[in-house]
Amino acid sequence: MNRARLASVLLGIGFGFLLSWAHFVDPDQIRRMLLLQEPYMWEFFAAAVVVGFVGIRLMRRARVRSLLTGEPVRWSVAKPERRHVVGAAIFGVGWAVSDVCPGPVAAQIGQGIVWSLPLIAGVAIGVALHFRREEGSAPAREPESRGPAPLKAGTPLPASSAD
Amino acid sequence: MSHTLLQRPAWYVIGPLMGLIVIAAFALLNERVGVIGGFSDVVERLTGRRSVLGWKAWFVFGIVGGALVFRLLAGGATVRHGHHFSWLTRELSGGSGGLVAGGVLLVAGVLIGFGSKTASGCTSGNGLGGCSTGSPGSLVATGTFMAVAIAVSFLIRAVT
Repeated sequence: MNRARLASVLLGIGFGFLLSWAHFVDPDQIRRMLLLQEPYMWEFFAAAVVVGFVGIRLMRRARVRSLLTGEPVRWSVAKPERRHVVGAAIFGVGWAVSDVCPGPVAAQIGQGIVWSLPLIAGVAIGVALHFRREEGSAPAREPESRGPAPLKAGTPLPASSAD
Repeated sequence: MSHTLLQRPAWYVIGPLMGLIVIAAFALLNERVGVIGGFSDVVERLTGRRSVLGWKAWFVFGIVGGALVFRLLAGGATVRHGHHFSWLTRELSGGSGGLVAGGVLLVAGVLIGFGSKTASGCTSGNGLGGCSTGSPGSLVATGTFMAVAIAVSFLIRAVT
């Protein structure tokens, strides 16, 4: 396993552990948040984003280079488009019905919760439907997400989907 | 140890720790975290759309592993409702109800997968990662999925 894969797995282990510890794998807890009955997850989300927002800007200002790619820390931003609203609305319906989103569903699999199996199958079908639809309406909007993924030039990191 | 782990930590502990994961993804890989992208990598690999799994697929494998590690350390899962999972499985319990609940969860999963791919991110990618970068598209997507999920949750409660 190369260093980039190992780093990705370790990041995921941390992410999955935190999701589990904070009970975000429990659909009832997500439902209480969405029914505005408890502030825990809103507070969590705000704290996480504030720390992330400040932290990555401090790294950029200090011209920190990413450890494994050697590039200066940087990111690109997207202008709001119709797909952000339409896609997010469709996602929001699925989230409210199941009270689970993609991170927690992966953590549920790890915790051995069998109800996550139909969900994860559905997520895979939904992703495949997205590609079918996109490939049916040429030209594709995200050509970089199609075809075999090349390794990023000069880095050991296999490129992922943009999402 | 297990007693401590089965109690959820305060938001001001777990929130910043999650923020550190966002920071670490940039510090190590110069990448925005995202989970649906990992699922997408696997689907693309299985359908021949890509030849190599991207880093997010490995990130998702790590999430599965991290949750397994948690369960082993904590001595139990963090969903403990007997054989129930959510409001859905309680509403549809008995007889063929479980099968229907599984079907509804499958459809919900399709909406989650299709919708978050279309919006280029889920609660992790647009929510945690995208909002941390201050991407306007992610801010709009996050506001939309949160507002829609709140509205639909109230609707579900009203009709059940």
